[in-house]
Amino acid sequence: METLPRESLKKLQLRKFKCIFQWAYDNSRFHRSLYKAAGIHPEDIVSLADVRRVPKVEKAMMLSVQSKEPFPYGDALCVPLDEVTEFRQTSGTTGKPVYQPDTWQDWEWWSECWATLLWAQGYRPRDRVFLPFGYNVFVAFWAGHYACEKIGCEVVPGGVLDTQSRILKMKEIRASAMMATPTYVLGMADVAVRKLNLDPSIDLDIKKITCAGEPGALIPATKKRMEQAWGAKVFDHAGATEIGAWGFECEAQPGALHVNEAMFLAEIEDVETSAAITEPARPGKLVITAFDRFAQPCIRFDSKDIVELCSERCDCGRTYSLLRGGVLGRADDITKVKGVLLAPAAIEDVVRSIPGLGDEYEVVVEKRGDVDHITLKVEIAEDSPVTPEQLEAHLKTELRLKTNLGYDLQLHSYGVLPRYEVKAKRFKDLRKKSDN
Amino acid sequence: MDSLKQMASEVEDLRRIAQSLYDTSDDFPAVNRNAKRILASIQMLRINLEISSF
Repeated sequence: METLPRESLKKLQLRKFKCIFQWAYDNSRFHRSLYKAAGIHPEDIVSLADVRRVPKVEKAMMLSVQSKEPFPYGDALCVPLDEVTEFRQTSGTTGKPVYQPDTWQDWEWWSECWATLLWAQGYRPRDRVFLPFGYNVFVAFWAGHYACEKIGCEVVPGGVLDTQSRILKMKEIRASAMMATPTYVLGMADVAVRKLNLDPSIDLDIKKITCAGEPGALIPATKKRMEQAWGAKVFDHAGATEIGAWGFECEAQPGALHVNEAMFLAEIEDVETSAAITEPARPGKLVITAFDRFAQPCIRFDSKDIVELCSERCDCGRTYSLLRGGVLGRADDITKVKGVLLAPAAIEDVVRSIPGLGDEYEVVVEKRGDVDHITLKVEIAEDSPVTPEQLEAHLKTELRLKTNLGYDLQLHSYGVLPRYEVKAKRFKDLRKKSDN
Repeated sequence: MDSLKQMASEVEDLRRIAQSLYDTSDDFPAVNRNAKRILASIQMLRINLEISSF
């Protein structure tokens, strides 16, 4: 499937889109009324171009849907409640969480998506995979767990253990792979060195790390720090609770994500005009459809993820589209400061490319009078080879070069900034608050 | 491609059998629930083999 000619892939996508659209139209009161109001019916979809006539669904709409019956999912639910076997919810980082109902078949599908990506990253039955995350209502790496079982890997759930215990357990059982957010991958390495006097790249056997939840694994400086700290290959993957695991970096590490186009339809739109973007190197918002998820369908979901197509083909031979740099940011986070487009990922790339700076940082954008100000807080690494003054000068130059903006820099001693385990909140735009 | 078509055909056979087990096992919960899970796995096989139609 992954090497299917593009022409055939498009035919498959059209067939599958028609199927899920018909399903939602027939079984979800929410979807049917949305489509009827837009004047579009299943028989109107005769080509992929027609897909763009189908109204998009946003997270806020799902929140409204879920205030209706049947409790707690509302009228987008396409199956009887007793068919639902899995409850998860979004992390709530952008507001009230959305509930995600899945049937057992949907859950099989989730792990199928993950199995596809893990296999592409070199996971095999001989792997012993450690999952150092809190198994709870957030979907996080749950499907990764089930996918490992599907592949035949040995899965070690690192659930309620603390960070030190997780590291020691990985060492004790010689785990060969793990999955975590980039923030936690770096945080664990730090704890290993600082608290346990272990060098993960020497004392542990981790050879593959799959990241999710944040863009870091495709930010070059962050990927480099993680790979050096662990002596492992670090792979990115992209997904969301409401969507599924739609994108993955393969073993060839092309600096881009493959879209799993046999299971998802990915469209890219201009953030402001919603016009379709089909050419490479032009960033836009990802609108995505999951073809095989049936309890609560995901059809033209506005993911708010900013991505851009890449024209090159990957050395791995897959014909799936490539997204350069993976998820470049969130439409909510990429903002104009002093008239310049600022992506937090660009700041992260600068901070983590400078030896002598720690991994943590925080960006605060605020208005002073009529003027935008950006404060960047960073930490000086304990083993910094240069003086704070040299660091500040280096940072200032690189930021100006890479982001074309000036910053108020605050250099703190190591350990002052907050640490995160799941989704880090390092970007704060206080202007939005004062606008409300 | 012929072998893929053959596999797809065998998956349809499996589906028919599993569906029949499911439909006739209302009063045998263990069989009914296991048949339901098998049907979900069979659906994944159908997705794997969609390539056979090209």
